[in-house]
Amino acid sequence: MRFPSAPALFAALAASTCLAAPIGTREEIVTRLRAQLPGVPVAEYALGAAAFDTDLREQVAQNAAAADPVVAEGKVLWNARFKDGRSLAGCFPNGGRRVAATYPQYDGKLKRVITLEMAINQCLRSHGEATYEPTDAATMGKVVAYMRSLSDGRKVAVRVPAAAQERFEQGRRLYFSRMGQRNYACASCHLQNAGKRYGDLPLSPPVGQATHWPVIRDGRAVTLQVRMRQCLESMGAAPFPAGSEELNHIEYFLTYLSNDLPIKSNVWRNW
Amino acid sequence: MRLASFLLLLAALCNTVAVAQAPRAPPDAFTSAEKGNCIACHQLPGVPAARTRSDVGPALEGPRMRALGRAGIRDVIEDPTRANPQTVMPPFGRHQLLDRAQIDSLVEYLHALP
Repeated sequence: MRFPSAPALFAALAASTCLAAPIGTREEIVTRLRAQLPGVPVAEYALGAAAFDTDLREQVAQNAAAADPVVAEGKVLWNARFKDGRSLAGCFPNGGRRVAATYPQYDGKLKRVITLEMAINQCLRSHGEATYEPTDAATMGKVVAYMRSLSDGRKVAVRVPAAAQERFEQGRRLYFSRMGQRNYACASCHLQNAGKRYGDLPLSPPVGQATHWPVIRDGRAVTLQVRMRQCLESMGAAPFPAGSEELNHIEYFLTYLSNDLPIKSNVWRNW
Repeated sequence: MRLASFLLLLAALCNTVAVAQAPRAPPDAFTSAEKGNCIACHQLPGVPAARTRSDVGPALEGPRMRALGRAGIRDVIEDPTRANPQTVMPPFGRHQLLDRAQIDSLVEYLHALP
């Protein structure tokens, strides 16, 4: 079976105007990546750039404990009592255990995609507490780090009901849209050139990317949307605000691509 | 003694020739992340001082550059999407990532690669 060239697939996926079922989109991308990255099992895509570089794998393994202080501090915030006696833990089923794997979620009542950060702030707001700045590593980063750790090992299980499909589709379109002064799309690097080296660093494929957030960089938790904003800036594009519909929908699309891969949160990074 | 002097002179001459032929380091427009950042995607096999593992774009070597010619190199840097709409190479000229002088410096550098 001959596969289309990466640029041709890129163009086809980007130009598709009908609402392709999400599962079909995911399967197409996985199939392409299997052909493009022979010898790398799909499960290892979750290692990101380290899937393609043994030195990076060793470094990540050696620094596995980097997350411990961040997660510990996140646990403190998670269990801290609000003025009304409740806590973040009380806002989520099972105290937050095994929940992060289903985010982002589509909220049918609000008709919005809700990320973990939004759900955390919804909890704070509903209990009269000050909300966290979504990009603040000292609060939101730590809480997300702890909450995601409660789902380590769980398979990503993002659902896209029919009512949410347009939002998934917007995320897909944005992922494939050229943006900014450098005219890159997310897919330019992470799909078209997955596994190749940009500078000295292999480019991680989109499947598996959403499993390991937040990452721990310089002792701070960096969430997926913070990283996306950094990428957009380096592309010479004005980054969408954290919590914007655009970033939420890209995160929705991207996380769906990692469905069935286990979460391994808070991995160390120095890149 | 005269033989020794001759040999010394010969060695000095050889060294001078070797230094003259060593490929010079790429210009700032090639290496700076804020400018072309060409080095992020392209290797320069003929320039040991600029060794990288980048492989998003093809390796840049003198014979290929001279086959393109200065005008061809300039066109690619200015707007590679004209020849290949699917390329991930940025349109450095069209999107004003690089100015005329920077593109000129890159054209001359690439055209002279070993």
